[in-house]
Amino acid sequence: MLPTTFGPWLDYTINGLVIGNIYALLAVGLALIFGVSHLINFAHGSVYMVGAYIGWLCVTKLALPLPVTFVTVAAGCGLLGAVIERVGLRPLRNAPRIAPLLATIGLSVVLDQSAQLLFSPDPRALPTQLPTWRIAIGGGSIGALDLLIAGVGIGSAGLLYGFLRFTKLGWAVRATALDRDAAQQCGVDVDKVNRTVFAIASALGGVSGLLVGMYYNTIDPNMGFQAGLKGIVAQLIGGVGNVPGAIAGSLLLGLIESYGIALFGTSYRNLFAFVALILILVLRPNGLFARARRLPPEPLTGTFIAPSRPLVLPKWAVWTLAALALALPLVVQQPYLLQTLGNAWLYALLALSLTLVAGTVGQVSLGHAGLLAIGAYASSLLALDAGVPVLLAVPLAGLVAAALGTALVYPAFRLRGHYVSIATLAVGEIVTLVILNWESLTRGPIGVTGIPPLSVAGKPLVSGQWVYWVPLIVLLAFAALQSRLLNSHLGRTLRAIREDDVAARSYGVDLNRYKGLAFAVAGFIAGVGGALMAHFYSYINHETFPAPVSMLALTMVILGGLGNVAGAVLGAAVLVGLPELFRAAAEYRMLIYGVVLLLLIRFRPQGLLGTV
Amino acid sequence: MTDVLLRLDRVNSFYGPVQVHFDLSLEVPCGQIVCLLGGNASGKSTTMKVILGLLKPRSGQVVFDGQPLTGLNTPQIVRRGIGSVPESRRLFGTMTVRENVLMGAYTRSDAKSVAEDYEGVLDLFPKLRERHAQQAGTLSGGEQQMVAMARALMGRPRLIVMDEPTMGLSPLHVDRVLEMIQTINRQGVSIFMVEQNASLALQIAHRGYVLQTGRIVLSGPAADLARDPQIRDAYLGGAQAA
Repeated sequence: MLPTTFGPWLDYTINGLVIGNIYALLAVGLALIFGVSHLINFAHGSVYMVGAYIGWLCVTKLALPLPVTFVTVAAGCGLLGAVIERVGLRPLRNAPRIAPLLATIGLSVVLDQSAQLLFSPDPRALPTQLPTWRIAIGGGSIGALDLLIAGVGIGSAGLLYGFLRFTKLGWAVRATALDRDAAQQCGVDVDKVNRTVFAIASALGGVSGLLVGMYYNTIDPNMGFQAGLKGIVAQLIGGVGNVPGAIAGSLLLGLIESYGIALFGTSYRNLFAFVALILILVLRPNGLFARARRLPPEPLTGTFIAPSRPLVLPKWAVWTLAALALALPLVVQQPYLLQTLGNAWLYALLALSLTLVAGTVGQVSLGHAGLLAIGAYASSLLALDAGVPVLLAVPLAGLVAAALGTALVYPAFRLRGHYVSIATLAVGEIVTLVILNWESLTRGPIGVTGIPPLSVAGKPLVSGQWVYWVPLIVLLAFAALQSRLLNSHLGRTLRAIREDDVAARSYGVDLNRYKGLAFAVAGFIAGVGGALMAHFYSYINHETFPAPVSMLALTMVILGGLGNVAGAVLGAAVLVGLPELFRAAAEYRMLIYGVVLLLLIRFRPQGLLGTV
Repeated sequence: MTDVLLRLDRVNSFYGPVQVHFDLSLEVPCGQIVCLLGGNASGKSTTMKVILGLLKPRSGQVVFDGQPLTGLNTPQIVRRGIGSVPESRRLFGTMTVRENVLMGAYTRSDAKSVAEDYEGVLDLFPKLRERHAQQAGTLSGGEQQMVAMARALMGRPRLIVMDEPTMGLSPLHVDRVLEMIQTINRQGVSIFMVEQNASLALQIAHRGYVLQTGRIVLSGPAADLARDPQIRDAYLGGAQAA
């Protein structure tokens, strides 16, 4: 259904520019922060959400006039930004580059979950006090709110330009971005610069959240995640750290989305952004507007492997623990307990998979839940639509996840550090969006129902004991395999890539081949895990494996110790098993994960059992 | 005996487990040019980092104008009156020459006298006057060195530390830079320069120290060092001495 007249296209253009303006407010802040601290701030989306809620409080509870609301939102979020810099990031100044990035993820989880607890997860209306007139322009129309958004966008850009160009602190910001040491030698207090930049960026982000809330007349505690990603995408299109580029990238992204929706429909909206992101990362990692001379922004290498002496369990202890775990259902009979632990073993498969790529090979993947989703859908659809026996469908699903996962991440193999994380995050989102939109294969938003359970010789394995045993046996088998792999020549090669990929390459290691191998093994393990989940849950949809699951997996892996096989199992048992056993209220669980992640990064980066 | 402006007192510094300085002690008297000579990896540039607070020594202290700098960060040290001309100049490439030079006055709030000083350094480096609106990264090496020196001067320092000010410059510019250093020094600013090119440094310095794998192995008036047979062998190899 293509609109044929010119009028609607003008509307789409106006809409695209308005949305682009909103993205620009986010992206400019991200670019400023990247400029001075070389950090991609994943908490930025949460600040945007906080801005929307402060605005909501001002408008609905305090009935403040609009200008006062804007000032309050900017001030509140500016303060929040300064606090984020002070408590979340400054202590990590000398930590590996990836540590502050993980800290911003933790902060983002904490902020989102706190908002959910304070304001309930339900969306709220954010009414505007603006007049409702619209000016007709050649078939399209512009309303007061559109003009306000444009005005705020242009006004902030002007203020920012003036600040950077004509004030002393603005000069210090630019100088710090160009050469931190030299700026310090001019007497610039770079901590103050960082704090200022976080405050400005967060104020802009908060205002952006307020504007979006007004534009759609709805806000919710999870609105920040996608928006933050959009800001990151827009920033990457323009070139990281490039402020004018971020504005141009945002407008471009807004237009792409608006036209894309016009052509394909709303449910595709986010797909454009993430596909654009992957294309940019692969084709022009410096952004569309980078000058050819500019060096690639590569100060982001380095893994989050804290030096430590891993706890090595003696062989007999491993065997004893495994035997005890296997014998547990003979003693404990409560189905609920067994089910919970079985679920923990399923998540341990995901952690096992992630610890291989994030720990051993040092490619911190933020889209690992996508592999679960691929495995789950592959196995259920093979069983349901192709009539493949479940016992065969599960390993086949593992192979599909291995192949698809590797192929999807392949373009990101030449990226390093933060870029790998962003690319994998985007791949995870793309998987979800394809599942949502490819209705003829995946049944779209309805999901897959009536997935047959695992059965051996016609006997379905659905009792509490089997729900516990099957995942555990699969887990033990994979854990044993992975341990052997880590101690082999291959394991050493993978760790060499993590420690110094240039050195590894100069010793003749073909990076792509080994990274591919690692992702394939990881994809197989996670795919089998996802497949088992599908057969135990009997119903899945595109929201069964959302992005927070990827973050949870990362927390498990860091908790246990990156690269540590036993650590991955322990991390999953602690984070999935314990909250369930202690009956911690479900709404607090994600908050706990976020806090655990933050504390680990700050105080025990090597995890409980140590990195390998 | 002149007053001592800067003193390093038995400094031991490390990069992780690797020790760089072994009981390093040296002095910069008021109003003098002092050079620190040494080959690659002798710890010369690290000495700069220790003075500027970019690297904290594990033991020993840096004393400036009678006050120990222990515990101060780089901006605080700069505010005490130490300017720096970093190795390979380290200009803010996409900022203009004017902005770069004025960044040197970042710690000062007296706008009027900053403006006067700016005119002053432009008189000292007339070339920069024509280039003031140009991006610093587009200048030639010699011109960039002038910007770096002008930037250091703008903080009204009592001491300027320079890391290999002549490195990578054409012979013509080398002479100009050495002249400039002497001109600055005559205005009452003490200079501590780290140099690999001993013959050049000793031409203008009052005193010199020779650093070898983190230890001072020789020191004395520049004229004596220039004549010292050890130095001649090690650093003034025939061709360079000319």
